[in-house]
Amino acid sequence: MRAENYEAVRQPPSNEYELNFGPNHPGIEGNYALKVKLHGDQVVAARADGGYLHRGFEKLMEGRLWIQNLALVPRICVPDPAPMEVCYSVGIEDIGGLEAPERAQWLRVLQLELSRMASHLFAFGGHAATTGMYSPMFWGFADRDLILDLFEELTGGRVYHIYNIPGGVRRDIPEGFLDRVTSVMDYIESRLSDYDNLLFTNQVFVDRARGVGTLNQQQALEWGVTGPNLRATGLAFDVRRDDPYLVYDQIEFDVPTEQAGDAWARTLVRRKELVESIRIVRQVVERLPSIPGPIRCPIPNPLAWNLPAGETYTRVESSKGELAYYIVSNGGDKPYRVHVRGPSATHAVQVLENLARGSRLEDVAQIMFSLDACPPEVDR
Amino acid sequence: MNEEVALTPTLKAVLSEFDGLRYRYTSARRLRVDLPSDALPAMLELLQGRAGYAHLSAISCVDWPDDGDFELVYHVWSYTHQNLVSAHIRIPRDPGVYLSVYDLYQPAGFFERDIHEMFGVYFEGSPDMEKFILTEWDGPPPMRKEFDSEGFVNDHFTWQEYRPEWLEEIEEQGGGITTRPEDIRL
Repeated sequence: MRAENYEAVRQPPSNEYELNFGPNHPGIEGNYALKVKLHGDQVVAARADGGYLHRGFEKLMEGRLWIQNLALVPRICVPDPAPMEVCYSVGIEDIGGLEAPERAQWLRVLQLELSRMASHLFAFGGHAATTGMYSPMFWGFADRDLILDLFEELTGGRVYHIYNIPGGVRRDIPEGFLDRVTSVMDYIESRLSDYDNLLFTNQVFVDRARGVGTLNQQQALEWGVTGPNLRATGLAFDVRRDDPYLVYDQIEFDVPTEQAGDAWARTLVRRKELVESIRIVRQVVERLPSIPGPIRCPIPNPLAWNLPAGETYTRVESSKGELAYYIVSNGGDKPYRVHVRGPSATHAVQVLENLARGSRLEDVAQIMFSLDACPPEVDR
Repeated sequence: MNEEVALTPTLKAVLSEFDGLRYRYTSARRLRVDLPSDALPAMLELLQGRAGYAHLSAISCVDWPDDGDFELVYHVWSYTHQNLVSAHIRIPRDPGVYLSVYDLYQPAGFFERDIHEMFGVYFEGSPDMEKFILTEWDGPPPMRKEFDSEGFVNDHFTWQEYRPEWLEEIEEQGGGITTRPEDIRL
């Protein structure tokens, strides 16, 4: 820590003043900061300041065995860890020429969609809290907990599952698990009308979120926006449908969109995706019992596994947008290079700065939560 | 591998503009292109302008100290063709300078800033080369292969043995950590 970084700076007299928004602030997701320059309550300039959650994952991964890194990757994004595991495992399978058995792929889809729902409940609950409405946040957290219970039963872990291994998944579903998944899905579906009344059609929230942090489709494409934030500008693009992985090409689901491109539209897209995820999970529940077979393919001794030299770029649709891993192997037992491209690499830096500029101070937190930016993913 | 996948006519026209360019499909929607570094900005401009590759998914950097090179990989995605082109170039490690593609793809700003910070590659024309993550770090760029993070830790910090009272109590009753850390072999 250097003293000069924390000393007050003498400025010439001005109507503008600087404010450090974060790194410890209820309106910031995780430890992240925005340095905003204000004129009254109008933001005239914003600069993202990250690094508070930097743990050097990419460097650490170069010093650990392929299989050991599975304990590291979920920690890159706390609210939505499942896509990290899947993306990394699929990448290794791609380089190693392995193919996960069909049953494992369906189990991965189940894990991914449950994780997406948990993350969305987190995201719009958090968004509501930035507008002063705390009930949706508590409701979202409580309902998310039911999904975490399912994860605990399936994988042994509530938040970090470490359920995937290259070539498949670690364990099969316990007895009666699918019934419990179904009842949680029914419960969450029954809660949607409550959420609508409380949040999505609540005039207080609608007035507060509409027109905040608006970006049009052209800006979204220029700024590299992906995921629900892109779909909120009217472009129906989803990696699951347009660059399919696992068994998503055998599953029926829609890609919901909104046109307005503001904070409200982004949250509405997440609400619609919740419905689609329930639909996908129900298809998995229906299909899984009839899919026999092993849950992983044979792999060499993971403690002495030299993956053939090669490289791959794997992408999945996480709850926040396009998540990609660029993995390079030089034929060794450890990765030569892993580059994690999280969706927040664009959302939490350039897009957030652009949207915050010109907004009002009280909307900055709302913009960040409506983008569902995930600081640990930026810092890695 | 998947050589039979046909290139779209526009993509073929773009790729045929450049000498010394090699390409192959690694899967149905992944095209790997290797080209000389000076041709890359022009190729990205054509890919974006003519072939509809609107989305820069990422720029990855790989350090190859034995070859004296940095490998830069530009992953661009076309929403219309649903195809990802990964363009690989090599630039010399010394001086490690390359051109920014920020005026073509704005997200490049962050990826270039990140690579500058982690590998020390300077991108000419990039709007912002300031540190983002390692604000208080003066050492060498840590993602370079010669930077040994474990060695750095050993040189700058002391190891502390963690033996709290509660653990000793458990051990007296025959429990606790029975394998010493140095005996764990992976």
